[in-house]
Amino acid sequence: MPESLTLERKQQEGLYHNLEERLNKTFPELCGVMFLYCPGPPQLESLVSEFLRQETGSDIEVLKDASTSTLAVLLPGSTLNQAHYQALLLKRHLEETVPEADPRITLTVFPGQVDPTPGVLKQMAESARLGPSADIHIFTKEEAASEPGRILIVDNDDTIREFLTIRLNMQGYETLEALDGTSALELIEKWEPDLVLTELNLYGIDGLPFINQIQKLPVENTPKIVVLTEQRVERTISQCFQHGVDDYITKPFSPVELDARIHRCFQ
Amino acid sequence: MLVYGTVAIYYVMFVNILYFAIMGLSFRSIGTIARRAKYSSYQTLSGSELVPSVSLLVPAYNEELTIIENVYCLMTLNYPTYEVIVINDGSSDDTLSVLIKEFKLEKMHNPEIRGTIETQNVRGIYHNPDYPHLFIIDKENGGKADSLNAGINFSHYPLISSIDADSLLEKDALIRMARMYMENPEETVAIGGDVRIANGCLIENGAVKRVSLPRKIWPMFQSIEYLKAFLGGRIGWSRMNGLIIVSGAFGLFRKDYVIAVGGYRGGYPGEDMNIIIKLHRYMLSHKIPYKVAFCPEAVCWTQAPDTYKIISNQRMRWGRGNLKNMIENRGMFLNPKYKVMGLITVPYNVLFETLNPYFRITGLLALAGYTFLDMTHWRILLTFMLLNFLSGYLLSVGAVILEEIAFRRYKKLSDLWKMLLFSALKFVGYHQLGVLWRVQGHIQYLRKNNSWGTMTRQSWKEESETASTA
Repeated sequence: MPESLTLERKQQEGLYHNLEERLNKTFPELCGVMFLYCPGPPQLESLVSEFLRQETGSDIEVLKDASTSTLAVLLPGSTLNQAHYQALLLKRHLEETVPEADPRITLTVFPGQVDPTPGVLKQMAESARLGPSADIHIFTKEEAASEPGRILIVDNDDTIREFLTIRLNMQGYETLEALDGTSALELIEKWEPDLVLTELNLYGIDGLPFINQIQKLPVENTPKIVVLTEQRVERTISQCFQHGVDDYITKPFSPVELDARIHRCFQ
Repeated sequence: MLVYGTVAIYYVMFVNILYFAIMGLSFRSIGTIARRAKYSSYQTLSGSELVPSVSLLVPAYNEELTIIENVYCLMTLNYPTYEVIVINDGSSDDTLSVLIKEFKLEKMHNPEIRGTIETQNVRGIYHNPDYPHLFIIDKENGGKADSLNAGINFSHYPLISSIDADSLLEKDALIRMARMYMENPEETVAIGGDVRIANGCLIENGAVKRVSLPRKIWPMFQSIEYLKAFLGGRIGWSRMNGLIIVSGAFGLFRKDYVIAVGGYRGGYPGEDMNIIIKLHRYMLSHKIPYKVAFCPEAVCWTQAPDTYKIISNQRMRWGRGNLKNMIENRGMFLNPKYKVMGLITVPYNVLFETLNPYFRITGLLALAGYTFLDMTHWRILLTFMLLNFLSGYLLSVGAVILEEIAFRRYKKLSDLWKMLLFSALKFVGYHQLGVLWRVQGHIQYLRKNNSWGTMTRQSWKEESETASTA
C-alpha cells in the first residue's frame, strides 16, 4: 500500500513542480491561478478553456491533475479582482450548462501573498476539492503557513509505529511508516518528508551510518531528524548531535514532550 | 574374547547413561532458560550505559561472497556499545577490496595496537569515520587463531566475541549473552552461543526472516545434530561447569583472561576447544572461582556444508583438532586437581568422543564374531542393536522436546515431523559416516596432514532465493 501511494504522489508532484516552474519562468510578472474541482461533466477541460478564452480574450492555460481530476487554470496578467470576476462567471456558467454541477474554486495571484511552491499549489488544489464551502475561496498567507508537515516514522516495533501514526495524524501531520533502515532510505528519497522520526536500532542499516546516509540522499531539502530510541549511551547521543540530528528523545518517552519537540522542529 | 564383548556392552551402557544424565540436567535447566528468554527486558538493556562494551572479532579468509552481508548484519545488532573488527587473513580473493569499496574505507595512519600477542605481520588497518564502529585489519595469512589474536591486539573493549564470517547473529543475540555475563561478571570467563543451521531459512536484510528446516539431506542431518549437541548436551555440561568447548562460530570471552592464557593457539584446528581448555586450566591452577557458561537463547545462524566433500572435510578437521587437544592436555585426564574438568569432562571426551569410533567398530566386530561363531544368538545381537538405536533416538527426541519447551523456532508442524523422521534416519548411514570421518581425521593427524581443508561458501542471497521459491 505505501508503494502505490508513493507512486501516485509522484505523478501529482510532477504536475505541481511543473506549475511552479511555469509560474516562475513564463509568467513572472502577474498571473492569476485558479483551481477548479467539479465532478460530473466529461469534457470539463475543454468546456472551461473555451468559456474563459471567450470571456477574457487572452491566452489562458488549463492543466489537469489526473489522480484527483482537479483543474489548474492559469490566467496570465490578471489581478486578483479580475481573476475573482472570471471565477464568478465560470461558476455561473457551469451551474447553468451542466445539470447538478457543484463547482468549487480556490484562487490567488502570483506574485502576491504567497510564493508558488509545489506545497502551496497542492494545498490550494486540495482546498478546492475538499473545502467545506461552495463559495469561491481566495487563498491567503495564513492558510499557507498552516501547511502540515510530513513525517516519516521509522521503527521496527509495530505498537510504537501505530501509536505515533495515530497521534501525529490527529495533529494534522502527514505520516508514512517504514520498518527498517533500507526501506526508510528509499521512502525518504521518493516521498521527501520534512522530518524523519526514527529509532536507532533498525534492520538493514542503523545508527550513525543510517543518519549519515539520510543526509547524503539526493533530495532537495534534507529532512530534519528526530531520534526516538532505547539507546541511552551518552557517547552515542553526543555523536548523533555532532552528525546533525535535530533532537534526541529516549524511550520510554512522554508523548507531550515528543509533540513539543516535533512542533519546534517545524518552526 | 568374551571379556571384550562384555566390556563393549558395558561401555555402550555407560555412555548412554551418561548421555541421559546430561540431558536430564538440560531438562532441569530448561524452565529457567525459557522464562529468562521470555521475560528479560532486552530492549531496555540494549540501550543501557551499564552494559559492558564488546569487540566483535570476525576472522575472514576468502569470504568475498558473504562478507558484506555479514558485516551489515553485525553492524545492526541491538547493543549499546560495540565495535566490529573484521580480520582479513591474507585472503587470496577480493575480500579486502569488496569491503573497502562497500564501506569506503581508508587506511588508518597511526593505528594504536595495544595487545602483545604474537601474530603474523599486520599490513594495515582500515576505517571510515562514517562507520565509527567498523574496523578492518589486513594481515598476512596465519590461520583463524592468528587472526583472532590480531583482533584481540587491536580491540578496544574488555569483552571479545569471536564470530565466524559465515554466520548471522540474531539482533538480540549479543545482548542476551551480555545479560548472562552481567549476572556474574566476576566469575564468568566465557559464554557460548547456540549455533543453528540457516540452510533453508529465508534471509532478508541480514536477518533470518522465516525459519524452516533445510531441504537438502546433509544440512538436515546437521540440524538435528546441532540441536542435540547444543540443547541436549551443552546446557547440561554448563550446569556442572564442565563445558569443554564454546563454538568458534559464536562465543563471548573476557579479554583479560584470554590474554592471560596467551591467546588462541595457532597452527592447528580446534582452536575453539583449545582456548576453553586453557581457560579451565588457568583458572583451576590459579584457584580462581570461574564459570564457563552456555547461553542457548543467544542464537547464531550458520551455513552448514551441503556436499559430501565439504562436510567430510569439516568432520575430519574436527576429529583431528579433538585428538590434538586431548593429547596436548593428557595431564588433565583423571587428575583431581582439575575437578569436574579432570574427572568428568576430559575422560568423557577421551573415552566417548575421541576413542568412540574404535570402541564402536571393534564392539560391532566382536558381536558379529560371536554370532558367526555361534557363541551367541543373533536375536541378542538384534536386541542389542535395537536398544542402541532406541536410546540414541530418545536423545534426539529429547533435544526436540527441549527446543519445543523453550524456543519453538520451527513454527510449522511438518518441520516437527521432519525432525523426528530424520532423527531416526540419522542412524542409517549418517551416524556410521561420522565414525568413519573421525577415524580419517585421526589418520590425517598421524600423517601430520595439517591443512584446514576446503570450505566453500555460498552467497546468502542465493541461499535465500532458493528458500523463498520453495
